[in-house]
Amino acid sequence: MKKAADLLPGTLDMLILKAVSLKPLHGYGVLLRIRQISGDALDIPQGSLYPALYRLEHEGFLSAEWGQSENNRRAKYYHLTAAGRRRLRQETAGWNRLVSAIAAALKTTPEEV
Amino acid sequence: MLRRVRSFLRALICRSDFEAGMSEEMQFHLDQYANDLMRSGVPESEARRRSQMEFGFLNSVKGDCRQARSLHWVDELARNLRYAVRSLRKTPRFTATALLTLAVCIGANLTIFAVSDAILLRPLPFPHPDRLVTIYNTYPKANVPRDGANIADYYEFRGHIPAFESVSLYSFGTATVGNRGSTLREPVTRVTPEFFTTLGEGPMIGRVFTDTEMNYQTDGVAILSDGYWKEYFHGDPHVVGQKVWVDGFPRTVVGVLPSGFRFLSSNSQLYLPLSSNPEQRTPAERHSGGNVVQMIARLRPGATVAQAQSQIDAENDAEERYDPNANLIKAAGFRSLVVPLHADQVASIRPALVLLQAGVFVLLLIGMVNLVNLLLVRATVRSKELSVRQVLGASRAHVMREIATETTLLTLLGGLLGLPVAAGGIRLVAALGADRLPFGTEIAFNGRLALVAVAAVIILGVALAAPIASFHLRSHPANALQSEARGGTAGRATQTLRHGFIVTQIALAFVLLTGAALLGMSLKRAMEVSPGFRSDHVIAGQLSLIGSKYPTPESGFAFIEALVSKLENQPGVLSAGVATNIPFSPNNGKSAATVEGYAPRPGESPRGSYSYGVAGNYFQAMGLTLKAGRFLTSADSRRAARVCVVDEDFARYYWPGKSALGRRLFQGIKPGPEREAFTVVGVVGSIKQVGLTDDTAQGAVYYPYIYRPDYNLFAVVRGSVRTEALGLFLQKTVRRVDPDLAVSGMQSMDDRIAESLMAWRSPAVLGGIFSGIALLLVVIGIYGTLSYAVAQRRREIAVRIALGAQPEHIRAQFFSLALRLLTGGTMLGLIGAWLAGQAMQAVLFHVRAHSPAILVGSAAVIALVSLMACLLPAQRAARISPMQALSEE
Repeated sequence: MKKAADLLPGTLDMLILKAVSLKPLHGYGVLLRIRQISGDALDIPQGSLYPALYRLEHEGFLSAEWGQSENNRRAKYYHLTAAGRRRLRQETAGWNRLVSAIAAALKTTPEEV
Repeated sequence: MLRRVRSFLRALICRSDFEAGMSEEMQFHLDQYANDLMRSGVPESEARRRSQMEFGFLNSVKGDCRQARSLHWVDELARNLRYAVRSLRKTPRFTATALLTLAVCIGANLTIFAVSDAILLRPLPFPHPDRLVTIYNTYPKANVPRDGANIADYYEFRGHIPAFESVSLYSFGTATVGNRGSTLREPVTRVTPEFFTTLGEGPMIGRVFTDTEMNYQTDGVAILSDGYWKEYFHGDPHVVGQKVWVDGFPRTVVGVLPSGFRFLSSNSQLYLPLSSNPEQRTPAERHSGGNVVQMIARLRPGATVAQAQSQIDAENDAEERYDPNANLIKAAGFRSLVVPLHADQVASIRPALVLLQAGVFVLLLIGMVNLVNLLLVRATVRSKELSVRQVLGASRAHVMREIATETTLLTLLGGLLGLPVAAGGIRLVAALGADRLPFGTEIAFNGRLALVAVAAVIILGVALAAPIASFHLRSHPANALQSEARGGTAGRATQTLRHGFIVTQIALAFVLLTGAALLGMSLKRAMEVSPGFRSDHVIAGQLSLIGSKYPTPESGFAFIEALVSKLENQPGVLSAGVATNIPFSPNNGKSAATVEGYAPRPGESPRGSYSYGVAGNYFQAMGLTLKAGRFLTSADSRRAARVCVVDEDFARYYWPGKSALGRRLFQGIKPGPEREAFTVVGVVGSIKQVGLTDDTAQGAVYYPYIYRPDYNLFAVVRGSVRTEALGLFLQKTVRRVDPDLAVSGMQSMDDRIAESLMAWRSPAVLGGIFSGIALLLVVIGIYGTLSYAVAQRRREIAVRIALGAQPEHIRAQFFSLALRLLTGGTMLGLIGAWLAGQAMQAVLFHVRAHSPAILVGSAAVIALVSLMACLLPAQRAARISPMQALSEE
């Protein structure tokens, strides 16, 4: 099994919002989805997933409903609210700005200084 | 924000759902993961172990989730509360003492606050109440500090003062209301048209008065109060246009006031036009004196009292230029003062209330000091436990929250017990006469008070926690673990702190005691003052003649003659008389009298004096003393030759050292024609008109009724039977002479005097109660602290006794400690008492603010009480058996 990268601080919320934005998911589903969409490159510490979900729900970015899981058990499904969608957009934009700024910084050659 | 509160509340209210859902959700996760692992070939037991390991501690994850919902606060609070309840139940004696102290102190504070709130704090119940002002005339140099306002002032100011939006007059009075035979004397208010617009609240049905209705010929209209409308018209919505009989005349109802309408403290049933003649409106009438009419005005938005005052002053100055008596008026220091209406209403009661509020707050302080001391004793006992917990990782914040929870729980429970105390206290102040104060009927236990109570107990709880928390957190746990180890004594700092609190407590109690003693002494001095007449076995009641039946002074006089002769024929009646005003009546207006041949000294201003029109045997009935000459008789009203009687103050002022008999004077501010001169035929002893504590010599002139007539009369009856019986005689006789009349405000003169002392009695009584409680608290404080000291030093004392110390030495040691605390407390208290005396000057009567007798007496009481509190613990210390004490533990 290849080693998954550690998460940058503050990115967990963004990843959860992204995962849930594709399709309503239960907690375990969020975990799997993040692994899947990151190509198994990112692994979330399972213990910090639920507090983050509860916090996002508390802040109104997610809402939760009980439903049936794929193997017919009761499971709590999270989906994105309008506020959550706005938040995801903001975070994504912020992240992209950060990444391109850092990338630009790292590409700098001695001649450009 | 709202969303978070909703999410928090949902989780809080459906807490079990929240917990169950969380468990289910996490179990689902663990099972799913284990299943996935098993599907990839991991054996079941290994799969379960791995899934649990990777998830982390279930409980700590759940804790994080609860925290995400802010639920951990609630959990900690609940835990702290459980802990507090347990620890309070473990020490029932401490808890009971603390709760009782809190209940009494908080209850007393709430009581006085309810009074101050109703009287001083709550605004008038009208829109923009801060813009309502009152205007009254003052002639300070003529000894007339306040003379209301009159019709002429109203027509003078109306529309001429830019700072006023509107100006109005009102006059409280009574009227005989109802049909012949079933009449009642009801309180009424006579007002000018702008009265309701000035207040900002008017009739809900109908209209206000018009200018034409301000004349005697066309004033047959009335506005009903909601209460009168409901009682006598059954709330008929078509009441406008119907008739109501007032003083024997039908009046047309033009309006009905809304149910909440209440002007100041009046309970007027009807509002009538304040009618006048054109002659009364001329500027010449402005300074006629004896006004019972008051003026109110509403300031324009943005206008200030100072602006209104300067505009009024300018208006008065302009007016004076045309006034032939301008010099006299100026010499009397005349001004029309503009004062905020609410402040003016409560001005006389404010000092006493502020003082009581301060006194009761001192009581609260004493109680709190006591509690802190008791809590510190507990804290010392528990310091080891808390130290251990701190060493084991309890955070300082956690310890602080825990202590605050306990003290707040204590104050909350104490406050809860204080509510019935406050309810009882409010009943007590009502019994003391607080409901007769301005806005006194508004004193009630209401939601506002409850809110203040809740806020106050929470603040108290946190304030109590502060010293305890600092005690626990100041020292390093390791030190605490050592210093108060078994057999040791309390740390020196803690002991000093506790003793400091006792000293403070003694000092505060001393201040309260001297304050109460000053008030009590003032009351005693006031009660010793002679009113100037024999107040026992006399009753007086008020009646007002109906103008239509008694159009002339002569017809009124005929009624009085008939009434007096019928009254004096009753068995048990010694004498009866009638006067236009009597001592201790609410009417304190003065009028001017001009003494013939009296040349005012330079700078001297004309003086106002009390004037009475009397008939029948008024002097005998009221029990005045004759100093020279003779009393007035009914015959004087029938004679054309005008005579009068003056009092000693008047005689002494105008004819010092000479006889007043035969001298002449005129009514009004200047000499009149020869035939209107009154010859003095008698001098009577001076009486107190306003109250026993009124020290200034005012002077009084008594005229025969016919020469100073008034529709408002007081009938006075002296008899050898009980005053209640005299009252019945009076009531019956008045009805027999004129069935349309009814007597109101019937009260014995003794009662009137007692009532006038209310402003002195109530603070003295309450002050006495407060200092009694304070002394009790001091006893508890000293007893508690010394008992604890004895218990702590049990082993030390036992060793000393074993080594040969005599019980007297042990006893003396504790007494000397008590004496030291007492001396310190009294010293500090003397400073406090000096300051308090300084602040109390205004409410004292014939007592020096720093009376040595009171200071010494209070010190003696405090000393006695403190030493008594010390007796039991000292005795217990002296009786310690070394064998037993040393073998314990």
